[in-house]
Amino acid sequence: MENNKKIGVFLCQCDGRIDPWIDLAWLKKELEGDPAIAQMEILPLSCSLPGLTRIKTLIQEKGLDRILIAGCETRILLKKFYRELEEAGILEGQIDMVNLRDHVAAVHNLQPQEMAAKGAKLIGAAVAGLATLEPTVSEKVDFVGPIMLLGGGIATYPAAQELLRKNIDCILAVQTDEYEDEIRMLHEHYPGERHYYDRLRKIMEEVDESPLVRRITVGELQSVRGRTGRYTVTFSTLEDGPPKVHEVGAIIACLDGQMLNQGSNFGHDGKTVICHTETEELIWTHGVPGGKIVFWINDYESQTPQFAYLSSRCAWSIARYMVENRKDVDITFMFNNQMEIPLSAEERQIARKHKIKWVPYDGALRPTVQAGYITYCDPRDHVEYEMPWDKLILSPRRSVGIEATRIARILGLEGEEGKFLEVKGEKVRPEQVGQDELFLAGSARHPCDLHEALRQGRRAAVKAAELAEKARLGTLYAPRMVCSVDQALCTGCGLCKEICHCGGIEPVDGLGGGIPRHVDPMVCTGGGTCAAACPTHALILQNNTSLQREAQVTALANSLAEGEVMAYGCVWGGLAAADHAGLKGLTYDPRLYLLRVGCIGQLDPSVLARAFIEGANGLILIGCPPGDCHHSFGLDHTWSRVNLMKKLLEFCGLDRRRIALGHVDLNQPEQYVILAESFIKLINELGPIERSPEVQEKLRGLYATVNNSRVRWVLGATLRRPWEEVYPGNQRNALSFDKDLLGILKEEWMKARIASLLSSDKRFFELKELSQSLKANKEDIMVGLQEMVKEGAVSRVHKEGIAQYIV
Amino acid sequence: MIPFKINEQEVEAQEGWTVLGTAKQYGIHIPTLCYHEAVTNSGACRLCVVEVREDNWSKVVISCMYPVREGITVSTDSDRVRNVRRWILEMLLAECPASVEIKKLAAEYGVSATRFAVKNPAEECMVCGLCVKVCQEVVGVSAITTIGRGVHKKIGTPYGKPSEPCVACGSCVSVCPTGAMRTRLDSIRGLGQAKTGHSHQA
Repeated sequence: MENNKKIGVFLCQCDGRIDPWIDLAWLKKELEGDPAIAQMEILPLSCSLPGLTRIKTLIQEKGLDRILIAGCETRILLKKFYRELEEAGILEGQIDMVNLRDHVAAVHNLQPQEMAAKGAKLIGAAVAGLATLEPTVSEKVDFVGPIMLLGGGIATYPAAQELLRKNIDCILAVQTDEYEDEIRMLHEHYPGERHYYDRLRKIMEEVDESPLVRRITVGELQSVRGRTGRYTVTFSTLEDGPPKVHEVGAIIACLDGQMLNQGSNFGHDGKTVICHTETEELIWTHGVPGGKIVFWINDYESQTPQFAYLSSRCAWSIARYMVENRKDVDITFMFNNQMEIPLSAEERQIARKHKIKWVPYDGALRPTVQAGYITYCDPRDHVEYEMPWDKLILSPRRSVGIEATRIARILGLEGEEGKFLEVKGEKVRPEQVGQDELFLAGSARHPCDLHEALRQGRRAAVKAAELAEKARLGTLYAPRMVCSVDQALCTGCGLCKEICHCGGIEPVDGLGGGIPRHVDPMVCTGGGTCAAACPTHALILQNNTSLQREAQVTALANSLAEGEVMAYGCVWGGLAAADHAGLKGLTYDPRLYLLRVGCIGQLDPSVLARAFIEGANGLILIGCPPGDCHHSFGLDHTWSRVNLMKKLLEFCGLDRRRIALGHVDLNQPEQYVILAESFIKLINELGPIERSPEVQEKLRGLYATVNNSRVRWVLGATLRRPWEEVYPGNQRNALSFDKDLLGILKEEWMKARIASLLSSDKRFFELKELSQSLKANKEDIMVGLQEMVKEGAVSRVHKEGIAQYIV
Repeated sequence: MIPFKINEQEVEAQEGWTVLGTAKQYGIHIPTLCYHEAVTNSGACRLCVVEVREDNWSKVVISCMYPVREGITVSTDSDRVRNVRRWILEMLLAECPASVEIKKLAAEYGVSATRFAVKNPAEECMVCGLCVKVCQEVVGVSAITTIGRGVHKKIGTPYGKPSEPCVACGSCVSVCPTGAMRTRLDSIRGLGQAKTGHSHQA
């Protein structure tokens, strides 16, 4: 892409909401000296049709390729600017906005020129960020093959039906040759769905007859490689042949959950006390049993009350089949009185007609199974009664199933052990991710009835078909602000995949370590915490890089006065709260300079370090409330990074409190004001950092330390998922881990400083001289030096019996 | 270029501009509530009314959707316009009496009380639907919608339950002209919608 680096800055009067409060003419003059700005103009309302027309004209006339709007909220209007300016060649990443209205004009009691001065600093930072941008070429996504439906779940058929009706080729990877076999065994996954079988048969017949559908019989799924549009799927063959490989464009995983029987604590014996699946099997083999049949909806007692409705519907359906097919059957339902009878008015009528009784029992007393009887407490009179039975039918236990879990792992769905596969996606805007979820259908996702499983299949197919159609027309582009991997730098450590659960990061090929990773841009949400964690900086968030943010903080830090404080706010928490403070008309201390970041987790420690080198006296990162991160744990990861910075600041002789992590909910702007003012107060109490050459040297060492791959690896390894309790090296003690980290930091910080000193002056140094220059004790330096000599970074010679060191 | 007049001032607009857009371009103030540049206009609140005179007849129209035409004369603050606005503000005061923003605006026009029946003294929302539009057009999730019809119409989520598609971005709060969404946000996004981190117990 052509990279002219021509930045257009548009100062918006915002229909009288910015102009009288901020002296825009003065602001414009102030910025005129900035060589990065190619064009600047004051507009009455930049987002209106007249304003946009003017911007477009200037883009064409002056050849602008990046735009800065100094006006109002990014959250509301950035998308409109992209939409309107796309035809003028401005793509995602090439527009930035500074919220002059809500972060300056509306919230401070200052003179218009003072307001303008604050605005100028914020704009200067944004301009520096834009100037560092290296726009990428938008990536077109092609589909290389048909859509594959794998996993063998029943949702395969409605999905295939949907696809064939849209004239899209698909491959059905199933384990059996005959679809009638699948109906025969369906009750193992979905009991009590007989009324659906005829409709299901029709769907299967339609799929079977279509020339667009290819049915293949496969063994186990072995691996899935590639990315949206270009997957390689490998199956083992049923006989001991070579594995079968298929190239497909998209994958819809149809996975059904499993029904397990209740344990002996419910008296389950498989003959008289049975579960739903066993009842279905009994009906298939011996027909409907007669006598007194009691359905006990025991989901509350088996600790899964959330499935009580599902179980009772299922039991009702089996019961209905029974009474309609056999006269001498007497059916009773026993249900916990905490739940309601899940029947419609019509179904209640049917129940009365067939004398199906629904008997509630008091949930406070667990019913007890005896031979031929079940004891329960009547909730009306609190007397314990006994219900006689010939067959007692219990609700099943629902689980994902071993095979479904295995397949899900291969597909990159890493849920918690034993939990259903439905992972709650990241709560971000739809445009931030190419496809809003993985194509997954069936009850392994979350327990559901057959109807819902089929619906999910159809829905997944509709979405996959939309993508395929777009790809066919050549209009399917990957989002631009997503991660990408520099294969030459990637060591294949796999850290990125471990800390981001978006599921878009996979090895290029094969299994195991040492293999470079790649990112599926259609799955990545651009959270960026993985990029901020990469030990080798191989992973970058394109069009929104750490280098841009380093440029931002450099520009801002250089312009800040002594008592002024730098802040980063994420668009979901801190920044949104700041916007709302302006809208609500709150006023606060003007010495806080807030920069925008998509997720607080995007902030690489190098950005934080850069801010302190360049002159920041205090830096606060304002994210969402704890546990509310919209991306992959970005907030939690930031805690570790801030903690790292605190340790290193202390090494530099600076107060640990100069960097902090704050939390604020977007709807509590008052909290934002309290947070901002208390941090400003703190930094002013601490006073400015004394910028002696010594402190600057130490800070440069800090910067080198946070970019050191060993430190980044150790830090990254601590960025675990919340439910993981074991620290690296199997250390369970948080304190001993933290001490180890401190030790590593100290070592690497010292090494960085030694390396810097030695390479700045390429002559021989004695230990004594190093110790004097770095103002550190000899033992600490020696530890670092020894390692550096061992690594070959420094050579040691002896002159007159004294060791001397040189790079 | 299309020349016409706003309050005796000669202005020029281009094809497709509205009267309101042109007025803003020339820094002429017209009060608005439901108007927002980020979404398509709906003309719900009617507050942006102006008087348009063409030859010998004039009419009161909403400026946010009225396309410019050569030779028209627009009055943004004539007696007739002010009168209509006062009526609208009185109706809004009855609709959402608790809204500070509406009260402030009404006071500017000398309206402090309403002659219309007040249904709910605690109501802040005027059902302009701007939040619904932002959620649909800007955020792209349609987490909120209008519920009911006619006088029963209100803003909410399907079945009044916290909305699953809601990404808790707060855009609806940002654009709300009456401040009503602030108190409603929590019932829309629900609690634990985006819960992912250390403090979250699954």
